[in-house]
Amino acid sequence: MKPIDDDTLQAYADGELDAAATARIDAALAHDEILARRVRQARALRTQLQAAFDPVLDEPVPAHLSARLLPAFPPATDAAAVRPMHAARRGFASARQRATRRWWLPGAAIAASVALLAMALWWKQDDELVRMHDGQRFAAGALAQALDQGLASRPNPHASITIGLSFRSNDGSICRTFVERTRPAMAGLACHASGGWSLAALDAAEKPEGGQWQQAASSMPAAVQAAVDARIKGQAFDARQERAARDGGWR
Amino acid sequence: MDPSQTVREGLLQLLPRLRRLTRALAGQATDADDLVQIVLERALARAAQWRPDAALDKWVFAIARNAWRDELRTRGRSQNLFAPEEAGATAADGASAPAQTLDLATAMTTLPPDHREVVALVLVEGLSYSEAAMLLKVPVGTVTSRLARARATLQAHLGKDT
Repeated sequence: MKPIDDDTLQAYADGELDAAATARIDAALAHDEILARRVRQARALRTQLQAAFDPVLDEPVPAHLSARLLPAFPPATDAAAVRPMHAARRGFASARQRATRRWWLPGAAIAASVALLAMALWWKQDDELVRMHDGQRFAAGALAQALDQGLASRPNPHASITIGLSFRSNDGSICRTFVERTRPAMAGLACHASGGWSLAALDAAEKPEGGQWQQAASSMPAAVQAAVDARIKGQAFDARQERAARDGGWR
Repeated sequence: MDPSQTVREGLLQLLPRLRRLTRALAGQATDADDLVQIVLERALARAAQWRPDAALDKWVFAIARNAWRDELRTRGRSQNLFAPEEAGATAADGASAPAQTLDLATAMTTLPPDHREVVALVLVEGLSYSEAAMLLKVPVGTVTSRLARARATLQAHLGKDT
């Protein structure tokens, strides 16, 4: 019988040989303890390498890497989705135009609030992503779930809601920005409160230049950006802090 | 769905494996993530070249391997990012006490690039010899022999080659 060389023995250990060659090595191993030990060593090394590098799979992916891959704004080809989006945008824009014609600011603020409330109510009808409680808007349904569970460092490309920044606000609560992409796209800021995720800001989101939603706050609508600026204290969470905050129930 | 969208979503799914591969290649976590960044940029720039009938992971891994080789060339040997082949062989032959205390990830960084990449692709990422050969554009026999020599070196480092 031909002696078994190192390469063949290794190929056997890695399951690379065909059935006939495998059978030949099986037979040889049965009465050659030295060969059998070499096979065990070869397999043990593979196992040890996996033990050394597999933990990388469970590490949170740094946000700057996953942010580069955030899904593009889906083209609005669905007629049903297009119509209300245009309607909502038109309503919002005309309210703003009316507001700018007026010289008194409170009127502008009221007009904007009415438009925003109308939008929120429309949104609410659609899928119950927003609920009202004591005159305050709270996240509901899929939005509440995304805010509770979603990690910017582990984005789900199939989810319609993308989480952006998370940070500790100056009142001590944890706030998170989000973008809801599939309907009239909305962006907002939600802060964790005893009653759930209170919506501090909600605005129509435009598809950013380049067609990609960035996690950077710069792509947020001005109203949401302003709400972030008014609240943020220190730095936004990194991946580790974000995960720790989630594990701590956002308190 | 347009191809670049498919590639982008595929890359997002592949990120953990890509980080594992680059960690095995580059050693240091920060170097590895820098490498991932380069790989993502290249893959997105070339998304149109990816054919949907080709496995995205192999395509991306090939980009990663080439990007790593480019990095090695750019940084040069002066930074001692990897030991030259001769040094690797010497370390294996004269496995001294300090070498035995090296853990496997550190031992990987002492392998010459030709060896390190086959270990990373086959033993860490689980590619078959023929898949690795295709990716590296070398014959299967070359993958086999490099892998056997790399194993001998690593086992010597681990002090198991008794």
